[in-house]
Amino acid sequence: MARQEMDSQVSALRSMMSRRGFFGAAGAVGAASVLAACGTGGGSANPSASFPADTSAADKLVRWANWTLYLDVDKGKYPTLETFKKQTGINVDYREDVDDNNSFWGKVNGQLRTRKDIGYDIVTLTDWMANRMIQYGYTQPLDAAKVPNKSNILTALANVAFDPGRQRTLTWQSGFAGLVWNKEKLPKGLKTIDDLWQPALKGKVTVLSEMRDTVGCLLLSQGVDITKPISDAQFATALELLSKQLSSGQIYKVQGNQYKNDLINGTAWAGILWSGDIFQLNAENGDKWGFALPESGGTLWSDNMMIPSTSSHQTDAMKLMNYYYEPAVAAKVAAYVNYICPVQGAQAEMEKIDPKLAASEFIFPSADTLARAKTFVGLEAAQETSFNDQWLTAIGQ
Amino acid sequence: MASPQTNGDLWLKDLTKTFGDFAAVDHIDLHIPQGSFFALLGPSGCGKTTTLRMIAGLEEPTSGKVLIGDLDITYAKAYDRPVNTVFQNYALFPHMDIFENIAFGLRRRNVSDLDKKVKDVLELIQLSHLARRKPAQLSGGQQQRVALARAIVNQPAVLLLDEPLGALDLKLRREMQVELKRIQMEVGLTFIHVTHDQEEAMSMADTIAVMNNGVVEQLGAPLDLYERPATQFVASFLGQTNTLQGTVVGPDGDFTVVDTACGRLRLPRTELTGSVALGVRPEKIEFAQTAVSGVPDGANVVEGVVTDASFIGVSTQYIVRLRNEQEIAVFEQNLLFGRRALVGDQVTLFWDPRHSFALAAQ
Amino acid sequence: MNAPVVPVPAAGVQAVRSTKAGTRRRWTPYLLLLPGLLWLGIFFIIPLASLLMQSLQTPVPNGLAGQFQQTWRFQNYIDTLSQPNFYNAMIRSFTYSFIATVLALLIAYPLAYAIALRAGRAKPLLLVLVVAPFFVSFILRTIAWKQVLGAEGPVVSTLQALHLVQQNFTIYPSSAAVIAGLTYNFLPFMTLPIFASLDRLDTRLVEAANDLYAGNLVAFRKVTLPLTMPGVVAGTLLTFIPASGDYINSELLGGSVNTTMIGKVIDSRFLVLSDYPAASVLSFTLMSIILAAVWLYVRKAGTEELV
Repeated sequence: MARQEMDSQVSALRSMMSRRGFFGAAGAVGAASVLAACGTGGGSANPSASFPADTSAADKLVRWANWTLYLDVDKGKYPTLETFKKQTGINVDYREDVDDNNSFWGKVNGQLRTRKDIGYDIVTLTDWMANRMIQYGYTQPLDAAKVPNKSNILTALANVAFDPGRQRTLTWQSGFAGLVWNKEKLPKGLKTIDDLWQPALKGKVTVLSEMRDTVGCLLLSQGVDITKPISDAQFATALELLSKQLSSGQIYKVQGNQYKNDLINGTAWAGILWSGDIFQLNAENGDKWGFALPESGGTLWSDNMMIPSTSSHQTDAMKLMNYYYEPAVAAKVAAYVNYICPVQGAQAEMEKIDPKLAASEFIFPSADTLARAKTFVGLEAAQETSFNDQWLTAIGQ
Repeated sequence: MASPQTNGDLWLKDLTKTFGDFAAVDHIDLHIPQGSFFALLGPSGCGKTTTLRMIAGLEEPTSGKVLIGDLDITYAKAYDRPVNTVFQNYALFPHMDIFENIAFGLRRRNVSDLDKKVKDVLELIQLSHLARRKPAQLSGGQQQRVALARAIVNQPAVLLLDEPLGALDLKLRREMQVELKRIQMEVGLTFIHVTHDQEEAMSMADTIAVMNNGVVEQLGAPLDLYERPATQFVASFLGQTNTLQGTVVGPDGDFTVVDTACGRLRLPRTELTGSVALGVRPEKIEFAQTAVSGVPDGANVVEGVVTDASFIGVSTQYIVRLRNEQEIAVFEQNLLFGRRALVGDQVTLFWDPRHSFALAAQ
Repeated sequence: MNAPVVPVPAAGVQAVRSTKAGTRRRWTPYLLLLPGLLWLGIFFIIPLASLLMQSLQTPVPNGLAGQFQQTWRFQNYIDTLSQPNFYNAMIRSFTYSFIATVLALLIAYPLAYAIALRAGRAKPLLLVLVVAPFFVSFILRTIAWKQVLGAEGPVVSTLQALHLVQQNFTIYPSSAAVIAGLTYNFLPFMTLPIFASLDRLDTRLVEAANDLYAGNLVAFRKVTLPLTMPGVVAGTLLTFIPASGDYINSELLGGSVNTTMIGKVIDSRFLVLSDYPAASVLSFTLMSIILAAVWLYVRKAGTEELV
């Protein structure tokens, strides 16, 4: 597959830009100008639930915002997308415009609020941002009749807290956050979050800068069910643990997927990290790292397709979603992107493409594994702000 | 300052500088007496500036020696030798005012009485009123004088001037020539003046060394160089010269007789034999009234046809084609109303044989 | 534009024409300035004013995250700047970028000197090498540094092999690694202006100083350095200002809590938390401090005295 052919430059680029790696190249001055350019001001809360009339029949077009390197690609074209275009006659304007949930939000939330077309008919955002989109009334409902393949979704993903029954969103790809360790340094592996605090790992532990993944795993280790509403006290206890390990130097760094370099160069020996990256790293560097969900459970995150409230190509957008929920198509995408495939039946289709990938726990986790992976509860706006504030303060920002 | 107790003459001994295969300065020997105004004259690329830089210590010789009196300064650093330079384009420090520019060398050596010395030299160059100006605020001539003052205030054993007047216009250059000479007389330092301008060299220097291709072609007082050039190069670089090819016939008293295509001609006694070139300056040649009369006894005589005549005020310049088709130049001083000859005239020319000189044939 | 209104006598055709021409001449400089002023107005003055206004906003009661109203609350400044996280990151940013600027100057000056005055025919090649890092993305370069300074990277391995450091010695992550990264990343910004001023330097002035009894060191101090101060000033500003706002280096080469620079704080507060007023307060404060520092520095360095 493409992965093996990637030279190190592409690999580095990928780690910089891939699904979860965000590094705004803008320094503070750049940030300041973005900041200044962003009009805030007052304004009404939720826009009323009236959506633009569906022009799908006349104007066969879907404009899709997705993350970088998140769709099968071959010589500058997207094979599955080309097939869709041929089959349906719908033109797809596919853009890798999402490089960070927050900055994407910063870009579109003003237009969503004032109900001006944001230029996308499908946006692909992570659970918690999907939650915010729904809460703010910025999504349109999916018509089950137009997305019959919706029923192919993995059971574990069918009833997420922020969108029970998948009324407004459909999972694009998923991944775990859990324990990662260097098998040479830690031949016995890690089983629990507490294993990370062993003296031998002092200064060798790194955790994710994605608040829900790191705090989620810590909360789970403290016996909190993160799929249910979390109390301020529970959150504070988890942060206390984090702060303690940070100030003692046990955890040397809280970071995004730049941790991959640290694993490679031996700075990090273990941590709370993402499964998808470990799959890639093992493919590129020899099978050096182990991944496991902690005994207390790990987090399951997903990126979700949804139709923004300003779209007028609802039917075409749903046709596209439906297409990607065909197991054979989903398998083709999974064979390229290597994240957890959310579509039932894709594993069987994968057998035909690459049996080795079909057997991978990283792409097609067993039911047992999935049962231990939890999706972080959708937070209410005020609590989200409060948690984020505390989190940033704890990690020095 | 290392004011040499011994004689302050400058000696260049077998001095050579090569850049790769190219010998910029090729085994030069020179003796420049203390207090003299010495000019190194030559076309660009002749090695005069390289010679100067070796004296200044800005260039290290490949071989040979530089001595001031008995003091060997061949390898002394530029800042360690009693030599100062007036640079081409002056090289004044743009961030310092005139006073500080001039005081620069004195400050480096912690000279006492600095203020007075700077003021004296400012007076010498008549720029006391501009002491606190920056160089950029001065005219070219003023900058030139500051550059000079900055060097002479240090009372060096040798003062080097690298084309110091090159950047000035003609009128200012003539004024500065006089000024330089005056200052040199006044301060009594050894001046070594590098220039490609033969008039400048002749009007100022006591002694001129004419350089070409890295060697000194001829050394002497300006008059000697002009009247008795030793080589074709010197003859043509200093003023204009006519040369007639011939063969030495033999001696005749104080003269040597040379057989040329235009007849037998005489020149002052020379050691040369065989093929030689006989040289004569255009202004030494005179027109005879007729072919037979008006030619003094013993004069060199040639005949020809005037092919061109141009009146330039102080003189008229003629081109005369000789019997052997060679054309020579003749300058007649403008003493008459009217012309000596018209184009197409058959003329007889003569000159005192003592004004001829022998040059090795090319 | 009042000239043409004056009644013109019959014979005054000539006068009219010249008056019009005069008016046009008077306005020409302003017309030429117009695009620049517009640019400045649109991309500097307006954003700046909007930034300042934003720093004085408060959340809309019961509004959504990211909704603020203009209440001119100057208390925002006190509230924000009194938080240890924030002022520590601010102080840290200036400390890091100051040290990095000094280090970059110490490296860049000899480098630029060698290229400008000693490189001969290799000069264009060496210049390309100075600029070469720009052909690779800033982030990739910094990631490369991470590999170089990592626990099993060449630097630490070599030091350990030579028994100069203990086995558990690390460079990354640390403040030193951040400063090293800043120094490296901004080195071309320091080198190029210094190179430009050295390249322009009339070396005959140095010879003149040598000729006037100044040893090489004194000639450097009295002539070369003062004449290249514009390059030094430009280089230090081009390094210090962006380095103060940079956070890629601290993000990639630092650890967590103790190496965070202010740029990251602003970024997080703005993007993660949508706390626009706090981010604006920090941005505006950062900018003001930089401006004040630059002003003091340029006055002290006295570049206006130089030719």
